[in-house]
Amino acid sequence: MSQTELPTENAAALVEGVDVPTPAGRGSNLIRRSLRLGRTRVGLVLVGILVLIALFGPYLAPHAPDAFVGRPFSSPGGGAALGTDYLGQDVLSRFLHGGLDILILAIVSTAIGLVVGLAIGLIAAYSRNWLDEVLMRTMDVIMAFPQIMLALVAVTLVGPKNWVTITAIALTTAPRVARVARGAAQPVVERDFIGATEAMGMSKARIITGELLPNILGPMMVEASLRLTYSIAVIAALAFVGLANDPNAANWGTMISENQGALATQPWGALLPILAIALLTMGTGLIGDGIARTAAGIDRERGDE
Amino acid sequence: MKWLRGGGIWGFIVRRLLLGILVLFLVSVIVFAGTQALGDPARAILGRDATPDRLAALQAQLHLDQNVVGQYVQWLSGLLHGSFGTSLASQQPVSQLLGPRLVSSIVLVVISAVISIPLSIVIGSYAALHREKKFDTIVSNVMLGLASMPEFVTALLLVILFSTNIFHALPSISPVPPGHRAWEYPDELILPVATLVIAVTPYVSRIMRASMIEVLESDYVEMARLKGLSERTVLYRHALPNAIGPVFQVTAISLAYLAGGIVIIEYVFNYPGIGSALVDAVTNHDIPVVQALAVLIAGLYVVLNLLADVATILVTPRLRTRL
Amino acid sequence: MNTRNAAIPRSLSAIRDRLAEGAQMTERGDKIWRVGESRGEGNPDGPWSLSRRQLFMGAGGVVLASTLAGCGGSAPAPSGGTNTTGAAGTPKRGGNFRLGVTGGGSKDMMDGQNIVTKPDQARLLTAFETLLTFDDNYQLQTDGLAESVEADNPKQYTIRIRDGIEFQNGKPFTADDVIYSLQRIGTEKNGLTGFAATATMDIKNLKKVDDRTVRLPLLSPDSTIPQTLASYTFGMVPVGYDKFSGDVSTQIGTGCYKLKSFTPGQESVHERNPNYWRGDGSPWFDTVTITDFNDSTAQLNALKGGQIDAMTDVPAGQVDSTKASGVGVLISQTGGWIPLCMAIDMPPFDDPKVRQAFRLIIDRQACLEQIGNGYGQIANDLYAPFDEGYDKSLPQREQDIEQAKSLLKQAGKEGLSVDLHTTNGAAGMVELASVFASQARQAGVNVTVKNDPNYYGDSYLKLAFSVDFWGTRGYLNQVQQGSLPNSPYNETHWPPKSGPGSNFEDLYHQALAETDTNKRIDIQHQMQKYEYDLGGYIIPYFNALIDGYASNVQGLSPSKGTLNLAGFGHGFRTIWFA
Repeated sequence: MSQTELPTENAAALVEGVDVPTPAGRGSNLIRRSLRLGRTRVGLVLVGILVLIALFGPYLAPHAPDAFVGRPFSSPGGGAALGTDYLGQDVLSRFLHGGLDILILAIVSTAIGLVVGLAIGLIAAYSRNWLDEVLMRTMDVIMAFPQIMLALVAVTLVGPKNWVTITAIALTTAPRVARVARGAAQPVVERDFIGATEAMGMSKARIITGELLPNILGPMMVEASLRLTYSIAVIAALAFVGLANDPNAANWGTMISENQGALATQPWGALLPILAIALLTMGTGLIGDGIARTAAGIDRERGDE
Repeated sequence: MKWLRGGGIWGFIVRRLLLGILVLFLVSVIVFAGTQALGDPARAILGRDATPDRLAALQAQLHLDQNVVGQYVQWLSGLLHGSFGTSLASQQPVSQLLGPRLVSSIVLVVISAVISIPLSIVIGSYAALHREKKFDTIVSNVMLGLASMPEFVTALLLVILFSTNIFHALPSISPVPPGHRAWEYPDELILPVATLVIAVTPYVSRIMRASMIEVLESDYVEMARLKGLSERTVLYRHALPNAIGPVFQVTAISLAYLAGGIVIIEYVFNYPGIGSALVDAVTNHDIPVVQALAVLIAGLYVVLNLLADVATILVTPRLRTRL
Repeated sequence: MNTRNAAIPRSLSAIRDRLAEGAQMTERGDKIWRVGESRGEGNPDGPWSLSRRQLFMGAGGVVLASTLAGCGGSAPAPSGGTNTTGAAGTPKRGGNFRLGVTGGGSKDMMDGQNIVTKPDQARLLTAFETLLTFDDNYQLQTDGLAESVEADNPKQYTIRIRDGIEFQNGKPFTADDVIYSLQRIGTEKNGLTGFAATATMDIKNLKKVDDRTVRLPLLSPDSTIPQTLASYTFGMVPVGYDKFSGDVSTQIGTGCYKLKSFTPGQESVHERNPNYWRGDGSPWFDTVTITDFNDSTAQLNALKGGQIDAMTDVPAGQVDSTKASGVGVLISQTGGWIPLCMAIDMPPFDDPKVRQAFRLIIDRQACLEQIGNGYGQIANDLYAPFDEGYDKSLPQREQDIEQAKSLLKQAGKEGLSVDLHTTNGAAGMVELASVFASQARQAGVNVTVKNDPNYYGDSYLKLAFSVDFWGTRGYLNQVQQGSLPNSPYNETHWPPKSGPGSNFEDLYHQALAETDTNKRIDIQHQMQKYEYDLGGYIIPYFNALIDGYASNVQGLSPSKGTLNLAGFGHGFRTIWFA
């Protein structure tokens, strides 16, 4: 189901051919302006810290992620500053090792979904004919499944492999992105300058990439951050149900599922990755929120002009 | 695209229904093809016990000797006669297997929706009306915090807090016994519902806020202001009626979101609904059950969207004229 | 039976999971081969203390029955367990016993002779009983439905059932039911768990001698028949019986509880059988409710929150925290094992040096501590620790990375990379793969763990390197299940087709027919030596079963058997609420 706060997802977009007010503005300008908002900066800082942990954590870890340092679920102390996990491995070391996987998975799957969805949405919006209808109805078929359900089914069927997770998330992300992209691009397509470029004999591909795309970058950036947020949540949920690629990989998602049983007695094993994922989601959410608000503000300014 | 236009609201409904049926048909074909590729359900059910003798015995019992197209046609004709077939794993009619679970899931979704939707609408609208003011900022930060918590984490924390470690006030699991209905155990519903409400409210209230802002900034509201009407009149006469449309959309969106969210909630609380049935059926390659659930879930999506769109169009004059 | 009607012997017929068809030899099996010698060990305890009929086999293969084991009887010494729930206290009637079990789903079934999931085991035991039983110390007992099972000659047994036993619907239990039950298991197209174990039985020629006596002819000598008859999937069902398919009145056994309702994947309710034949007041609960759970976290939460009274399989790492929350934990050292399986005819394991090296890579003690949290016993790559013929004289293998490296070098397999396949089939399977992968790196071996939910459905038995699980059983029964060319679960593709060990199957048949205990043990030792030197199993430790129960549940004590909660309280018969 649609999971965005963009107006285009709402009433208007669902009715065929309805114009939608589009937050516009070229990307770089938007980002610069959005940085004036406190929330965007807080979001960036949060994401930045977690990315740094993910990237450099492994070098700071006192133990190997799969080294046996004590009895399972030992309390903090001794060789393990934050205690041990379900297999007697060092929680802190695993936490420091565990961010990269989930980040890469989330970013790659979201990026694929974004690119595919964007392409479909733009083509649909630009074509304005049967192709539009076919593409969007196909998207409907995929969207008929809740994201987590489709991911769960795919991973249960094929096995918890990275490519399955990526495919499932990209597949469920794409149609949602496509809808937003189409909704945002439609009014642009109607504008005169597109007709003018067509008259000049510019190729369709160039019109789509050169003229349409830059005009919808604003909403797409908001969409990107939201999609990333949801991808992280889905990956974490899959890991929670015990469907992760390498069962003992140090990974924030699997750490939660492995250690959540001891949440009451040796909480660190689960709490640390929970906090990390929550802060990461919050960070991407704040950034998206900031961009969205800025875009809306730009829109308003424009209206005032 | 002429045939896709015209006919007023009824034409719109008919078109959407036909498209919906097409979507459902495609979903069933795709799911069927997908499950076929999985291999032998008898093997999946027996698992380690798939010794040649037991495998042969079960395969014969399950009538797995037909070809794929034949199986699909048989399934489809059964569906048209109102039968979802027989579960391979449990040998029960699928309707009998899923019926009570469907009711349980619906109970969970509806209760959560009844609580979270009005809550979201109020919060979202209020935040939109007082945009960038204190309330809006606080609420949006709190909501962001709640939304950033994965559902299963919320569930686990609630269980630790209210049933196993801090207070021992509420049941930690919600296994509605067969033959009973979920509402007979209101105490068991509290934690699952609370989790869903916490998960869905931030998300829906954000949509509501955005929709409301859109309405408030629309031309006709602006026009009303320009006419010199009081802000109050503008709000109640012009803005709110036009915001009802988004409310329907929000309702549909949150119901669909809840329908997806129950998978994890049912798992955590051992709640016998369709989410856990889906996981079970997929594990066992129980094709008839997977098929039935796919069509049910996709059907729910189609119907919800249709209802929301129709309602939106009916209450939003500017949209009605576009048909 | 003795005069005290409070007789509640701790019989147990259990083999972990679906491995029921093979039966067990006893740890002190030598004694069952000698006429009239009784086991002396045990601790008399409270209301249980009773005379028990024990089963003895004559040197000529004759099985005698009904030897009283001394005044006051003997209960087995709990092994490996740390606590019992108090055998003290007089059993009381009443209550609804709510049991939570993981591993079930919509494929759950109710059949007196068949199981697929763990909840199936619990449900089977509510209503169905076997001819012979195992006690908590894994000794065969004749306190089941048969008063004797005797070998008339190496190829024929006579089963004599107890007088006056009725099914739950009042129908008398007779020889016809025994014949029907055994023939039902022995019919291939029924696809029942125990089919493979009926291979030596001449099922077609079972003969009723009189209402209480059945003659069981064999196709070839098989001294493990009594153990087979004590396996829990050899439940006795009435003539015409079939599995549950919607009508609870079809599930009629001789056991303690009668099926009242059953929804696969969710819950079953069982009512007390008021006419239970033992006449000692048991069973004690009014009803038993068995609920399926997805995972142990929900199960533990439910137990701590008072929504269930007992659960299967507390994660080993959470024993202390579970105890701390006021919940009882029952730890039973069993003969169950989770092996790493190397297929001896597939590269790289077709080279014995590689197998040897892998067996030296593993740190068994670390495995036990990491995965089992110390609850278990170190193993030595051999199975069936409770078998009298278990060869304790073979030196304990220890981790030796240098030696392993040098063996790999000799084999030309330095820097070896292998995939290790596993699945969440039993607790510890995925963990063992992970731990081994970590240990292997020390020897320069790169092990990639493949956790595949469809492992058992798709690729099982066809893999070079995989993890599996087994329950307690006797050596020869285990060989029949997993180490012969026609075994149903032969992961390692043992025995070798040529060279040393290729006579393994011949030795097996010699052992089955050998009536002299010492000679048979000698043969078994030869077999184990081959497996120790050349086999494909890496067995780090024998695991314990760890179950949880509410503090008011009485009568639970550790058992060597392989079903949870001491065989689910011996068919829900020997447990009650305080």
